[in-house]
Amino acid sequence: MRPVAIVTGAAKPDSIGHEVALRLLKEGMEVVVADLYEEGFAALRQCFCVRTDVSDPSSIEEMIGKAVDRFGRIDVLVNCVGGSWGITRKDLLASPRLGWLGLTNCSLEDWRTIVAANLDSVFYASRAAAPHLKKQGGAIVNVASVAARKGIPPGSEGSSGPYAVAKAGVMGLTRQLALELGPFGVRVNCVAPGVIASGRLKRVFEMTKQKHGPEGPLATIPMGRVGTVDECAALIVALCTDDTSYMTGVTVDANGASYAA
Amino acid sequence: MPLEGLKGRKALVTGAASGIGASIADRLRREGVEVFATDIHPVNDSLVADLTSADDVEKLSGKVGTPDFLINVAGGPAAPTRSETLPPIPGAMALEDLDEKQWSSVIAANLTTAFLVCREFAPRMKAKKFGRIVNFTSIAARRGSDRVGVHYAAAKGGIIGLTKTLALELGPHNITVNAIAPGFIKTPRIEAAGWGDAGAAFIESLPLKRAGKPDDIAGVVAMLCSEAGGYVSGATIDVNGGWYFGP
Repeated sequence: MRPVAIVTGAAKPDSIGHEVALRLLKEGMEVVVADLYEEGFAALRQCFCVRTDVSDPSSIEEMIGKAVDRFGRIDVLVNCVGGSWGITRKDLLASPRLGWLGLTNCSLEDWRTIVAANLDSVFYASRAAAPHLKKQGGAIVNVASVAARKGIPPGSEGSSGPYAVAKAGVMGLTRQLALELGPFGVRVNCVAPGVIASGRLKRVFEMTKQKHGPEGPLATIPMGRVGTVDECAALIVALCTDDTSYMTGVTVDANGASYAA
Repeated sequence: MPLEGLKGRKALVTGAASGIGASIADRLRREGVEVFATDIHPVNDSLVADLTSADDVEKLSGKVGTPDFLINVAGGPAAPTRSETLPPIPGAMALEDLDEKQWSSVIAANLTTAFLVCREFAPRMKAKKFGRIVNFTSIAARRGSDRVGVHYAAAKGGIIGLTKTLALELGPHNITVNAIAPGFIKTPRIEAAGWGDAGAAFIESLPLKRAGKPDDIAGVVAMLCSEAGGYVSGATIDVNGGWYFGP
């Protein structure tokens, strides 16, 4: 019986989650993709794609139920879904909003929407998958952001203050779940990417005409470049495998040396 | 699946005679990496060098050339010498029991070695516009330790500063620099020192409920040298079964 992985936020073709799903297939896993973006499912024919609204706990529970009905087990959960925009049914394909969105100028609706997609979603999916992961052990990998380390500076476009806070919550959630699931052989780790050349970043560049990512100028990245989706996905996959068998509760920063935690 | 980006590369692993270093050398060889192993303690085909000596480090570079991966494992809570290459690992040491000689020798064995080896090989990596450096710090520097002296914890704290600074300095040359902070890893020498039976209560307190193995560390080194580590730099990676989660 092949191990089974669930990846949330994997349907958009130039996303980190999409590449993670393809790589987990190559690792010999059955892959369940949970995403709202149904248009992307056709490009993931080898995966079991389930339309899921990660901000809705019943939608998540339904997706986990379908995965278990189909494959009988869950070994890996990768929580890739997130972002400051393009995260609800209404604005799935919307462009990034222009203007800086901090904590002091966001609406309560902004706050709730962004925290729901980035933090609540990870809680819902982890909680629903936990009983299945505990049966034979496995791994959860969450995706945070360098924004959680250093915030989104006023004036930056394409990300948001609520996102930075929600991603810091993901790091705390990672530690708490590591304590709760470690005794069952379930490791829980996190990757905090810096600026990554995903489709999302390209759209920020197109919309804002700015020459830097939401987290600051590229000139402040010592490696002198943005990260690639391949690098980021390879790191997430490594945290799913036995190469990291004694790591749990850890956030691995992948930001080209721009912020050493 | 084998990790991407390892096959055909060249690595230098220091402190490779036993334990974590030996396990890393084995793992990288299995991935198709050409591995040069060095240690002050002579074993099999490893190159013997005292890495606290700049002369020895320079001679080593003549034999190794330009590695793609530099894995600085050499060190430990007891400093080896040419006449005693495998010193026994000491028990807990109170501050007032440490003399200046012990302080200096442990700082040299853990911190000066990493400095000298990086200083020797980084310019070669810069010329090649590629490199992955992995240094070894310790749980002792992350959360403190009631098992080893302050000299060891301070030296390993120094490794974190060295790592972050080299990440900034060498980043523009496509060289990543990271540190691994192992927790309680049951190596043969640790077992011989009587640490192997670390209290059952301690092991039970770890989320993963077990001591680490050298192979648990080797996998993380392989990850950092592979495609997965391409954008990771300046990081300290805690590998300790959930004992301590970092800052």
